[in-house]
Amino acid sequence: MTAAEPTVLADLRGDLRLRTNLFWSLYGVWYRHFRVYTKTLLANATPPLLEPLFFFTAVAIGLGNYVQPGGFEGLSYRTFVASGLVISSAMFTAIFETTFGTFVRLVFQKTYDAMLSTHLRVPEIFIGEMLFAATKGAVFSTVVLLVTMAFGARPTAWCVLVPVVGLLTSYLFAAIGLIVTSYVKMINNFSFFTTGVITPLFFFSGTFFPIKGHYVWLDVLSNALPLTHPIEISRALFEAHFTPATLAHVAVLFAYIAVCHTLALRRMTKRVLS
Amino acid sequence: MEDLAAHSAPLIVARGLTKQFGELKAVDGVDLDIAPNECVGFLGPNGAGKTTLMRLVFSAIAKTAGELTVFGLTPMQQRKQINAHVGVVFQDNNLDEELNAAECLLVHALYCGLDHRTARRRIAALLDWLSLTAKADSRIRALSGGMVRRLMIARALLNSPKLLILDEPTTGLDPQVRHAIWAALRDLKRQGMTILLTTHYMDEAQQLSDRILIMDRGRIILSGPPNDLVEAHLERYVLQVSGLPAVPRLDGDIRHEHAGDADYFYANTEPPLQALHERLAAKYAILRHANLEDVFLKFTGRGLNE
Repeated sequence: MTAAEPTVLADLRGDLRLRTNLFWSLYGVWYRHFRVYTKTLLANATPPLLEPLFFFTAVAIGLGNYVQPGGFEGLSYRTFVASGLVISSAMFTAIFETTFGTFVRLVFQKTYDAMLSTHLRVPEIFIGEMLFAATKGAVFSTVVLLVTMAFGARPTAWCVLVPVVGLLTSYLFAAIGLIVTSYVKMINNFSFFTTGVITPLFFFSGTFFPIKGHYVWLDVLSNALPLTHPIEISRALFEAHFTPATLAHVAVLFAYIAVCHTLALRRMTKRVLS
Repeated sequence: MEDLAAHSAPLIVARGLTKQFGELKAVDGVDLDIAPNECVGFLGPNGAGKTTLMRLVFSAIAKTAGELTVFGLTPMQQRKQINAHVGVVFQDNNLDEELNAAECLLVHALYCGLDHRTARRRIAALLDWLSLTAKADSRIRALSGGMVRRLMIARALLNSPKLLILDEPTTGLDPQVRHAIWAALRDLKRQGMTILLTTHYMDEAQQLSDRILIMDRGRIILSGPPNDLVEAHLERYVLQVSGLPAVPRLDGDIRHEHAGDADYFYANTEPPLQALHERLAAKYAILRHANLEDVFLKFTGRGLNE
């Protein structure tokens, strides 16, 4: 360590061409999360993938035997539930990534300090993070789709677009997770959010039963919930049944993404730079 | 940006720089000029504002008032242009513990904007320079404190910075590792690196710094080359005694200070202190040159001021 090699010294002095463009910045952040996540892939991915499959087994296969024989909305009950679970699994993976995951990186691991000591800007850091969550969401949607198909779900060929809906859904919920995290001071605070927000989202967005036409208040609530819209899109793909309402769901999903994306970046900038 | 190191204008300029957290003025009206290739050591008690000052320089926080330029550019507004040429070694090690040493450097190299090929070349060179090549594939958790610290330094150099910021680089490390790190830092300085350093170790500050700034309560209270500081503010010798029952009568050339259970007797020549030493016959007494630590304690107070 005393006498360094001349080549090393020259290299340390040397001028490097740095890629400081947006694409490379997002890639750098994405790559970090990808590398860390896949380092312990089995431990990271197994539980969140098993959970939707437990729901599928218990509800679609088990309880499904007692559901009206024709299923709902022209889909068998297994297919109906599968069309919701492919999307809710994307939501869960994204929301955990940017609540508990982001909080641990922010407060305990100080990952963002390291990122912020480079040229990276706060929005680049968190767009990169949401893109990673979106990647995970797309993969989870695909895996849940394939497994539920193996267990009797029968979607139409349009389901090849499900990963895209999964990607958009997880980007949205990654943004929502960041907004929540920006307010959280202690990690225990998240339990209010998971129990008070995520669980009702999961049950009242039409994953397990058609929401429409039972109670007016439930219709209103469900239409306001962000998860309802991607599930409706997924269901349209599953049954190849597209209506003007489908287009409206797409529009609402993008509107949600635009608003939450903007808010997430604004809030995280404030949180990280203070 | 090509001739950053070449021009002789100050690399960092601060005028009345202030950072306030609520009521607390963490940095309070600091004036600062850091020349290229200078190594400046920031000393000060915990909470003096050293780390906050560093964080202002690399745009991790926004100033409340005053002026600050780095490379002639404005932090926050021009963070991309500034931080492309800055490397930071944080007080807390924040490497990704899931990854191995080489992977940790790779992800950081990508943040910096290196392509994979250049990253691999620089990682190999830096690991070699810091004697870490054998540990390239080791998980962070499996590394010793000294290795992790060297890895933090390697990480800060990936982008070939013009300015290196080190926040307590050798706190908690054994003497061998500290000397190895100092040697590496002197190496960098010889190559033209500008270094800002915060430390609680007087020997570290003295070993590395051209200039020392002592901070207290957000202000710079003293500044100068390490040896000049001692000469300018203290007598040359000090007799330090602990557990003295009563202070003896002193002749005119000896100055006395009392703090805690210790008494300090200062003089510009050795004989009067030697005589005092023998006269006291105290068990815990040491006669030595006055050093930076005495200056530091004189100006920041000998009691705990937390």
